[in-house]
Amino acid sequence: MNDDEGTFSHEIRIDAPADVVFSYFTDPEKMARWMGIDHKLDPVPGGVFMVDINGKFAAAGEYVEVEPPRRVVFTWGWQGDPDMPPGSTTVEANLTPDGDATILHFVHRGLPPSRQATHADGWLHYLGRLEIAGGGNDPGPDLKAGSDE
Amino acid sequence: METVLRAIADPRRREIMRLVRYEERAAGAIAAHFDVSRPAISQHLAILREAGLVTERREGNRRLYRARPEALTDVRAYIEEFWTDHLARLKTAAEQEGKAR
Repeated sequence: MNDDEGTFSHEIRIDAPADVVFSYFTDPEKMARWMGIDHKLDPVPGGVFMVDINGKFAAAGEYVEVEPPRRVVFTWGWQGDPDMPPGSTTVEANLTPDGDATILHFVHRGLPPSRQATHADGWLHYLGRLEIAGGGNDPGPDLKAGSDE
Repeated sequence: METVLRAIADPRRREIMRLVRYEERAAGAIAAHFDVSRPAISQHLAILREAGLVTERREGNRRLYRARPEALTDVRAYIEEFWTDHLARLKTAAEQEGKAR
């Protein structure tokens, strides 16, 4: 599933046509159904890609390739994170029709190597990231309540 | 990794993690920060320990806890969790729309 340490890849079959799946990577209203609460998307090569994940963390980069309905590539990184700054990694979504469904081959390249946290603030940052990852099970208001100090 | 995510899904457990982030603290001292019962806090601590997020050390009849930062530092693991979870949501949303067509 993963070719090397700096790459994450994942393949899923989605029971919807490729053009529908494609739109979930370019249309802010549709992206909101699966990722993030606020979006600035300009799906042309060089156009802005910005997703506020939960009010605490925002991912930013730019679109690199936009070829509906087969392939979309954008860069990705976290605002305010020196380890993985905006634009520092690349996300690819490749869509292949399979009957009435679509195979989504998803690749995230250029991830920084795993390492030990060197200081406690870095650690807290990761805790925040994991809260994002677990966001599906987390009631929205709690996320903001967490930053009360 | 799923154990970790489940462990930190609870706001009280996240608060406990913050309390023991810099220094080791006894279970009683941790419980004193919360309005809930001591057994409830013990249970939260057990869940955090099982997820590898805190270490437990006994000193006499006290139990001391401290955050184990290594448990949270794997960039790859968090990215993997992030995308797996979000792509599952994408699938659900796109399939709903596909059916509606």
